[in-house]
Amino acid sequence: MATEIGTITTPKWPTGVRLPVALTFEHQSGEGAPTLPGERPNYMVGGAMEYGGRIGIWNILEVLDRCGVKATFFVCGMTAEKYPESIRAAHKAGHEIAGMSYAFERVRTASPERERGIVLKTAKVLEDVCGAKIKGWRCPDYRMSAQTLDILSEAGFIWDSSMLNDDVPCLFECTGGKMVELPFTTSTADKTFIAYPYPMRGGFDGLANAWNCEFDVLYRETERAARLMILSIQTWATGRPTPLRTLRQFIERLTTYNDIQFARCSEIAGWSSHKGSH
Amino acid sequence: MAAKWKEVQLQKPGRWPDGIRLPIVISVHHQSEEAAFVLPDGRPDPFDYGERQYGGRRGAWRLFEIMQKHNVLGTWIICGATVEKYPQISREVVKAGHALAGHTYEHEMMCNYPPEEELELIKKTVSVFEDLLGQRLRGWRTCFASHHTIDILLQNFDFEWDGSIWNDDLPYMIEGYGKKILEIPFSSYSDAITAVQITNPTPPTPYSTWPSNPPDFILRQMKAQFDALYERGADRAVLMPLSVHDFIVGRPSRSMVLDEFITYAKQFEGVVFATHDDLSKWWSKNYAAETASPRSN
Repeated sequence: MATEIGTITTPKWPTGVRLPVALTFEHQSGEGAPTLPGERPNYMVGGAMEYGGRIGIWNILEVLDRCGVKATFFVCGMTAEKYPESIRAAHKAGHEIAGMSYAFERVRTASPERERGIVLKTAKVLEDVCGAKIKGWRCPDYRMSAQTLDILSEAGFIWDSSMLNDDVPCLFECTGGKMVELPFTTSTADKTFIAYPYPMRGGFDGLANAWNCEFDVLYRETERAARLMILSIQTWATGRPTPLRTLRQFIERLTTYNDIQFARCSEIAGWSSHKGSH
Repeated sequence: MAAKWKEVQLQKPGRWPDGIRLPIVISVHHQSEEAAFVLPDGRPDPFDYGERQYGGRRGAWRLFEIMQKHNVLGTWIICGATVEKYPQISREVVKAGHALAGHTYEHEMMCNYPPEEELELIKKTVSVFEDLLGQRLRGWRTCFASHHTIDILLQNFDFEWDGSIWNDDLPYMIEGYGKKILEIPFSSYSDAITAVQITNPTPPTPYSTWPSNPPDFILRQMKAQFDALYERGADRAVLMPLSVHDFIVGRPSRSMVLDEFITYAKQFEGVVFATHDDLSKWWSKNYAAETASPRSN
């Protein structure tokens, strides 16, 4: 059973880096859309999400490329099968590909056997598509089971990012070895501000405001303690032209700082893999 | 149980001490993961649990540091179980001079509990504050008041004030069972109202929980509420009970709201940041002055 060893209060960021910023893109193409009564597919919501697989990811890759920053993509296995070229392109551009279930399976109450099957199947699909080892995971609905970290550690993963409870990485002792947890937040998640099927709360300028405030506060706090900034972004939401511009402007603003680094989750996990004082 | 107490509204308009036009009383709800939504199988929703646990692990510290930076005090409304799980922040809160109130033991919604269980839960919470912090609680804010809450408080405890009810702009005294307790009402001047759609008691949607308003929206609503009260305070007593939660405004982006709101409000003449204990002391003088002379009716 995975046990929390402690938070990493003194991570070893590279020299000169005050705040690592992880842009984490959650990539599905409608697998996560809830079905209509009678298990009928929901083309309305599913279609809105399918945008991510068809178009959104390409738009985002273009912005990242122009800005010269590296990011992490959490990909559903089924999405990678449907749209393999974009996943290969992302990997080739230097972004990290991580797992996010096969078909958006919710595992909170899954048996260990079923969950292990989902993890292994997803890892295999993604590894076959991009030709690289998959090291990280995010549960698609942000709801782990009691055995998620153990299963991931046994499957050779080194980090996970499904929790929402801290500002800094945490270390877990698991049945398959140590795992780094990189907690994130939905308080800055793009979808709830700007994208159908959510009501638009805040809109595009509100999204920019949330990201900017998050950065300003965390950056200031690094004077006293280690911090990590993780944004949860949907390729089906921010991949559309208007929020895409919001993203580009945010990245452009941050690249004017010479002491922040856009980092892939595996890099951050590597800088965090020793235990600091609790 | 029929209520055996009465509310005593002042006949003469109450006043704050000289020079105070608008007291702002910040209630910091520090409840960590206690209110996490429980799914039908009896176990918490991990998503909601993590969002809320953030408040205990990080958010409460951030709010504490912002208040320290501005040199303002408020009232910390804390669950008994939260004191047990995260004692260090509560000790710092006491040391800094903030007022305290109990907020049930594990954020039990008291409207769902029979009176004898509500009584036991209040006792349990009071003991935690005494045992771990050496503090005798002067105030109480229940979580979803029951029809028995006031009776139970009057009959069994010696709280000076209660801050559980949303039904007035200003404090009023409650007398009964040979005792009295000052009700200091709270309000919708709250991050839970302006910032997020909290899951509890509504089940999480198939998509996600926690739709959220951006920080600048929350800040504008707080300033609008302040401006209205400040204007109204020109010729009468007004009060701004502002509630913030460790897991809502304690998040980095939203913490900006509290920081900037305090900066904004402090510019105005006659604005003070007070605790519920301060308010209780001040208002009890109004009450004593009036009850010293025979009432007109």
